[in-house]
Order: sequence, then C-alpha cells, then structure tokens
Amino acid sequence: MSLYHRITSHVLLILISIVMLAPIYWVVKTSLTGDNIFTYPPSLLTNKPHLFFYVEAWYMVDFVRLFFNSVVVATIVVVANVFLNAMAGYALTKQFPAKKIVMSFLLMSMMIPFHATIIPAYLLTAEIGLMNTKLGIALPSLSHIVCILLFKSNFEAVPSSLVQAARIDGLSEWQILTRIMMPLSKPAVATNIILSFIWSWNEFLWPLIVVRSPDQQTLPLGLVSFLGSFADTTGALYAFCVLVILPGMLVFLLAQRDFIRGLTSGATKG
Amino acid sequence: MTVLFKTRRNRELALVWFLLIPALAVFLFYRVIPLLWNVVLSFSFWAPGKPLEFAGLYHYEEMFVYDDAFWVVLKNTAVFLLATPAAIVIALGLALLVDQRIRGRSVYRMIIFLPYPMMVVAVGIVWRWLYNDSVGLVNYALRAIGIIDQPIAFLESYDFAMLAIIIAAVWQIVGFFMIIILTGLQNIPPHLYEAAVIDGARAHHRFWRITLPLLRPSLFLCFVLGIIASFLSFDLIFTMTDGGPGLATEVLITHIYKLSFELSRFDYAAAVTVVMFLLFILLTVIANLLAGGDAGKVDIAD
Repeated sequence: MSLYHRITSHVLLILISIVMLAPIYWVVKTSLTGDNIFTYPPSLLTNKPHLFFYVEAWYMVDFVRLFFNSVVVATIVVVANVFLNAMAGYALTKQFPAKKIVMSFLLMSMMIPFHATIIPAYLLTAEIGLMNTKLGIALPSLSHIVCILLFKSNFEAVPSSLVQAARIDGLSEWQILTRIMMPLSKPAVATNIILSFIWSWNEFLWPLIVVRSPDQQTLPLGLVSFLGSFADTTGALYAFCVLVILPGMLVFLLAQRDFIRGLTSGATKG
Repeated sequence: MTVLFKTRRNRELALVWFLLIPALAVFLFYRVIPLLWNVVLSFSFWAPGKPLEFAGLYHYEEMFVYDDAFWVVLKNTAVFLLATPAAIVIALGLALLVDQRIRGRSVYRMIIFLPYPMMVVAVGIVWRWLYNDSVGLVNYALRAIGIIDQPIAFLESYDFAMLAIIIAAVWQIVGFFMIIILTGLQNIPPHLYEAAVIDGARAHHRFWRITLPLLRPSLFLCFVLGIIASFLSFDLIFTMTDGGPGLATEVLITHIYKLSFELSRFDYAAAVTVVMFLLFILLTVIANLLAGGDAGKVDIAD
C-alpha cells in the first residue's frame, strides 16, 4: 500500500471517528460542565469540569431504585435465557418424532417481531395479573431463538465420543448437559449472557406498556419521565443519560470480543 | 428387553419435551398466540370490558379509505426505511477502510461500533441535545462552516425532522452493519484477488467483480436486520419527536402505540398492526429471494 493511500485512509478514518465520537463527547461535556447549555458559541473544550449535575441527578431521581429494578429484570432475563436456551438447544441435538415441527415452529416464531404482538401481549399479561411487575416486564424475553440455535450448533460440535463415554460412566442426560455440554460451550454461554443482558437493559417499549407506577420503573423509563418533566436545558438530564449509558458500555467493553463474535456468528451461522 | 428399551426410549422422549417446553411456552404465549389474537381483534369491535363482536373489514375500510393519518404514517414509514440502504452503503465503505492493513484498525473498528450497544432512549436524548436550535452542536457546526446563517430547530421542522432522526438511526446502526460486512470480507478467499491481480484486473474491477458479488449474503443480512430495526424504531422516535411536528415523523409503530395505549382503540390498532406485520413479512421475503434464500434466516433483533 502506498504512503499516499495510507495517509488518506488515516485522515478519513480519523474524521469518521470524530463524527462517531462527537455526540458522546458532547453529552459527556454537557454533563460535566454545563457551559454549553446557556452560552453561544459553545466552547469545544471542557473547562473546569465538576460533578454538580451528577449530584443533582442523584437527588432529583431515585437512581438507586431505577438501577435496582433494571438489574432485577435483567437478572431474571439472563438466568432464564441461559437455562431455557441451553435446555432447548440440547433437546434439539437429539432425534425425536416431532423435531421438524418444533424447528419450523421456532423459525416461524422468529419471523414474528415482538412489536407486532404488543396489544394481545399486553392483554394477556393483564389477564394473568402480571401488569406492573418485574416478572411481567421480563416474561416476553425469557428466551431468544437466536441463542437457542447458537447453543444447538455449539452442542453439535462437542465430540460424540465424549458424550458416549459420559453415558457409559453412568451420567444422566441432565448431567451430560450440565457437566459436559455447558462447560465445553463457554463462548455460547458468554454470548447468551451478553446479548440477553443488553437487550433487556435497553428494552423500552414493553416496560412502557407494562409499568404503571414509578416504583416499578426501569432506567429507560426513568430517563424518559425525567425528560418529560424537565426542560432540555437541565444539566442533570445529561448526567443521568451518561449514568444510564455507562453500564451497557462497560459490559460491552469488557466483553467486546465475545459480543462481536456472538453477534456475527449468531447472525451468519444460525 | 424390548420393554426395557421402550421405557428408556420413552424416558428420553419425556426428557426432550421437558427440556423443550419452557422455551416453546415463551414463544407460544408471547409470539404465536398474540399474533393470532391480534388478527382476530382486527376483525372485531372490542374495547376493554366489552364483549367481542364481529366487525368484518370495518377497521380495514376505515384505515384505507377514511383515515388520512394512516397514509401519512405509511409514507413516513417508507421514508424511514431508506435509512437502511443508506447505512449499508456507508457501512460498506467503512468496512473496506478498516479491512486494510493499517495501524490502529481495531481502535477505529471499536469507535465506529461504540454507539450500537447504547440504550436507544439515551441516544434519542443525546441527539435531541445535538439538534438543539440555540446551543446544539449541529447548528453550531453548520453555522461555523457557513452552510446556514440562521439556527434551525431541526426536530420541530416539517422538512428536517425525519432526516434528523434518520441520521441518528444511521449513526447508531452503521457500526453493526460494518461488523457484519467485515466478517463477509474476511470470508472471501484471498487467492481470488491474487489471481485477479495476475490477470491484470484493476482495483475497481476487483471490487465490482469479486468483492461485491461475494458480499451479497452479508449485505442482504444487513438489509433484513435493518428493516426489522427501522420497523421497530419506536424508542428513538418516541424520545426525539414523539411523531411530531404534526405527523411528520409518525411511523406505524408509534401510531399503533398511540392508538392503543393513549386512545384505547385496541381493535383499530390491531388492524394497523396486521398491516405492519404483512409489510414486514413482504420485505423480508423479497430480501430473502434476492439474497438466494439464505440470508436473514436468523435475525438477531428478535
């Protein structure tokens, strides 16, 4: 590659990086200084950062409760996903009479976006009395088909000699799943955890429908009701925003490799 | 012996179903039954606390003939769908850039991907702030370079609100598309390029004749995922404009939400949902056919 070519690539990529990072930088800067809320032209650099807006946000919203609710919902979703998806994935590695029907049922359900079912889902949840509960928020996302298929393909890659040896040693099917299959499919488990966590953490429309009282609100709901009750120029709003974005970002940065691999392998392999 | 075999076989069958049923129940109760229920609802008169009455095509007639808002919303949805091809073209360029052997490419990749896992509600608020007419960065930047001389309230403008939202949506999803295309690029065997170079093919020939055709599955996967994402982009529109000004940024999903949960017109909203679902299926099937029937088999937006 020529020097000229290399330099143009870098210049382009640096410009693109600036565009991608500018929104994030801008909101972090606003939350730390507030000096571009009331002054024009806004200064591009941060001067005298302070945590005032963070403290303010902390007192204006019950951040701990919102955070706790989000964590509880995400925990239910993640635990259920790991168990239900691994179980279903393992069952699908076996031969049984109705397997074809089950597979087409799953592929068909995958074509139904949850958003196309919100009205009956709401009526159903109301019918079983789970409105305004954390379980009600978690219920529709207790299992994701992509992750079932991910487990299935991972389990199928486990050498059958291992499984047979375990069977001869007298392990039950359940033990084979928990002691052989799961430990050998750590990447799939990690992907499952990360994906279901991020999906649950960011979920907004369904909690908006299910939650009726402030004490059950999750973080996105808290953020939107904050937006509804204060003006755009409240510095605390942006501090709150940053606090909400941080956990998701952290999970992503910590598990970056698994995350991207999980997304792409889940998306391309199936 | 045969009896024993039979019971063992039965026991294994029982185990299979025991393992399958919890997951299947989730999809049965939160995908399949609601979808069917929704169809029934769309052909009925119903309100909470009232008995279900058969309505025939009443709601569909109202929607297609009398409800002007529906056509506006449908048009807006179609416009919003254009975000997907735009994002794919940009993502293709980005993927080609970061696929080169240059220093720091993994850092560039990470930066471009960074917005994707962000909470959409927060993204909406961030972009509202960027588009702010008095102190927003976008107005400031455009005025500084001299493209505009008066600040524009982008999100309150009939001309710009939709474009403004599309830009925010593209900003968030482009890194995800880039990663998918990048995987596709890395699956292209390098000897094809080597052979092409020996045959004297120029760079743009190699792109049009080798790269692009072999990327087809990845591109169509992006297309399908993008369609799903833009159909369901409730969060972004709700936080940025809530469909406004007027109906300028109202799309099907926000319209459905308002009809059902603000106006309690569940039966009519169900009919609109059926239209949204059919459109979604239609676009997915078309994309699948174009991709040779394999792309988008697994959707991760779920």
